[in-house]
Amino acid sequence: MRRDTSRRGKGRPIRTLALAAAFTLTAAACQGDTSGTDGPGDPEHGGELTVILDSAFAGDWSTGLDPATSNSTGANLPQNSAVFGGLFTLETDENGENPEIVPNQAESYEWSEDGLTLTVTLREGIEFSDGTPLDAEAVVWNWVREFNSGSTGTPQVTLDLEREVPDLDQEFLDSLFGALPDDVDEDLITSHLGAIRAVDDRTVEMHLAEADGSLVNGFPGTNLNLMGSPSAYAEMGPEEFSTAPVGAGPFVITENQQNERLELERNEDYFKDDLPYLDTLTFQSVGGDQVAYQTLQAGDGDVVEGLSDVTLIEEAQNNPDVDVHLGAPTSPYVVQLNTREEPFDDKQAREAIYYATDFEAINEGLFNDQGEMSQSFTASGGLFHHAEVPGYREYDPEKAEEIVDELGGLEIELTTTDLSTARQVTTALQTQWQEAGIDVEIDSQALGDVITTFQGGEWQSILQTAGAWDPAAGIGVGVRFGSTSPYSGTPLPEGADSGEQALEEGLQTELDEKLEAAVQTLDEEEREEHYRAISEYIAEEAYGPFGPAFSPAQVMRPGVHGPGLDVPIPALAVNQGVLYDRVWVEQQ
Amino acid sequence: MSGATTSAAGDPRTGKHESLVSRIAGSPALRLVARRLLIIIPLLFAVSVLVFLLMEALPGDPARIQAGMDASEEQVEAVRQQMGLDRPGYERYLSWLGGFFTGDLGHSAISGRAVTALLAERLPVTLQMAGMALALSVVMALPLALAAARKPGGVADRFVMVFSMTLLAVPNFVMALLLVLIFAVALSTLPAIGYAPLEEGLWPNLRSMILPVVSLAVPIGCFYARFLRGDLVEQLNAAAYIDTARAKGAGTWRILWLHAFRNSSFGLLTLVGLNVGGLVGGTVIIERIFAMPGMGMLMLEGVISSDVAVVQTCVLIFAAFAVIANLLVDVTYAVLDPRIRYGSH
Repeated sequence: MRRDTSRRGKGRPIRTLALAAAFTLTAAACQGDTSGTDGPGDPEHGGELTVILDSAFAGDWSTGLDPATSNSTGANLPQNSAVFGGLFTLETDENGENPEIVPNQAESYEWSEDGLTLTVTLREGIEFSDGTPLDAEAVVWNWVREFNSGSTGTPQVTLDLEREVPDLDQEFLDSLFGALPDDVDEDLITSHLGAIRAVDDRTVEMHLAEADGSLVNGFPGTNLNLMGSPSAYAEMGPEEFSTAPVGAGPFVITENQQNERLELERNEDYFKDDLPYLDTLTFQSVGGDQVAYQTLQAGDGDVVEGLSDVTLIEEAQNNPDVDVHLGAPTSPYVVQLNTREEPFDDKQAREAIYYATDFEAINEGLFNDQGEMSQSFTASGGLFHHAEVPGYREYDPEKAEEIVDELGGLEIELTTTDLSTARQVTTALQTQWQEAGIDVEIDSQALGDVITTFQGGEWQSILQTAGAWDPAAGIGVGVRFGSTSPYSGTPLPEGADSGEQALEEGLQTELDEKLEAAVQTLDEEEREEHYRAISEYIAEEAYGPFGPAFSPAQVMRPGVHGPGLDVPIPALAVNQGVLYDRVWVEQQ
Repeated sequence: MSGATTSAAGDPRTGKHESLVSRIAGSPALRLVARRLLIIIPLLFAVSVLVFLLMEALPGDPARIQAGMDASEEQVEAVRQQMGLDRPGYERYLSWLGGFFTGDLGHSAISGRAVTALLAERLPVTLQMAGMALALSVVMALPLALAAARKPGGVADRFVMVFSMTLLAVPNFVMALLLVLIFAVALSTLPAIGYAPLEEGLWPNLRSMILPVVSLAVPIGCFYARFLRGDLVEQLNAAAYIDTARAKGAGTWRILWLHAFRNSSFGLLTLVGLNVGGLVGGTVIIERIFAMPGMGMLMLEGVISSDVAVVQTCVLIFAAFAVIANLLVDVTYAVLDPRIRYGSH
């Protein structure tokens, strides 16, 4: 049984790419739910929970937990959820359906009519765990820091920097500048203080120069969602605050062995009555899926977040001692074709690849037919998904062969991440394409090399994933198909020799304009139409055939419940978000 | 050894330094140590240059990898600065080297923490694990080798050979996973992962060490056993002093233990010395499997994130262990066998 949707957040480290690849190619195999059919009953208070995280992704918090300086915000959703809670959360109904952004520490949000001002109203009376208020001034302090401390967990937002700066309390300014890097541009900070301002104790405004329809959808995966205590920072200093930040989330940090183990205990002053349920919560980082699964089996952990290995997931599904819960897929595989290099500067060559590719067979053969097939940059778990794209070229080996004959042969190089499942898929593709007369050389590279290859631009085709819950957030459609993205092979705008030049001179392709229009509207129906048109455009231009999409697995011992665990929540990054304030364990 | 006497007396006229020099000059073993220590410096320097060049040669842009795929160019640039990658390579190396000589090993480019602080946390874990593994491997090898050598071709010999060859063929990460399956998953007697520091008590600490240590020690112990068995058999078959001992009516065990083993122990000792560097380095995979917060994990994380200061320090420490272990082997030779004289040639 498929459960629900997933999405990606902005600003996670590049490791996301590897994990995305791993998840996409490996976890695609498994849809289903082996949990019991009886309801879990009423939540119970108390107990301890140990969550096992992969050291290559969520279990890596090497740049610390200070939201303004961490570069792994999108990967560290579990830790962030527990320590900071967040202004907004992504939630679903009890059945894991209808995901939507819900105010959490925020009480509400509102866009101005022109879509350029986001007003966030905070709940009354929320305090950080050090007893100081989480008020509008604290939000301004956090947001300005987050925009100016070099963290890659910050979303790319075009603030209106021309606005007049309000009079600000000197003590506040001292606190803010004291928490910023030494070499910070003071003029830039000042202009940010015009764009981000506290209206009153509970109201904050963010003024944009361009409307951004994906900003709020992307919030839970970015650091703008995470509020730290300015007073605690002043008292602790940057290093200690990075190790044990003080937030207003459901738990407080008691011990942090960076990248190894994070121990938390209940925040007695949490703003939600009777929550959290757990007394203590521990995150344990381990090296890979096999170790994670064995650790769970050995009873040294209760939950494995985001298990991706197909074999292990299948084993877990057959193991009566553990429960397996999967989210809905959002990120299908895509063979990106580089239109800026031979042979794929010729549309016919690209069409040949579409006709020669049988992802259905790969899905059946490698993933037991459990991946969800897609014809575009998202799957059923994502926003703006449409199952079929008009004009999409489906598998037709005879047509492929005809084109290859017409072209006088086709020799190509297919690059992929050096992961075993990825190599399996590329080997299958190689076989299929060779049947159509296409000579294929596979080039499996380490993640760093794949990135370098992308950036160097001298590649022909690369197998990767594309998509996100909101396609404008994270590694969304813009990253894969926008002409100025370093990870795209779509044509450069006329008059531009490079993406940098196009950016500098404001040059755009038709697809860029469509992508921009899809972001610069707040109207969901309009966005839907834009993304439909984008899917059709990509299909028409044959920029890359799409394959099966994946969903990550939460594997846990029976008796553990909570949103994001047995009630799935769309994946904010590669892994699902878990709302740890509502996670509970059945007491013996 | 008049120097020693003078030094002990604290002769104000000659001074301690002079007496130390004369003391070293008068002792072949100490001369050896002094010479080796002098060699260690350029050796470690060469290692540090090599590691730096290798890290520089690694493909990919560490700043981009660290920043994330959807980071803007500005963000990547900020990360590049934060990692110090905006400075020329030689400048970064010299800066690190300068710091090294003043006791400042630099800061992790990723976490910003002082490398010395990281070492203080991580080194004891690895040292304990490697030390225990080395001791266990020797303790395991001795009875196996002695039992096998007692009657070459006999039942015990064949059992030891097959047993050790089988376990030798199992890579230690497979061994680790198997041990976890048996002792943590099936029997629930030992923890699958995690490290309990000594502050939590001796037993919790030892409990957390058992599986990693056994995983490391078993293949090495099997190798030692096979090596020692071969050496013992050779001694028993060819050495005249064994015949003499037999002629005097010494029993097999006595001959093995008191005569053959004493000579064979030199070979074993050399092997142990050679193994130290590899053993400490071998903790990388074991620490990862058992989530042990040691040097191996630190170095692995450093390599993945191109954290040069961390990797350089880790490799230097591993190299230093290997060199010092070999030095200790040579010194121990001199102590065990007075016929060995260093520095005469």
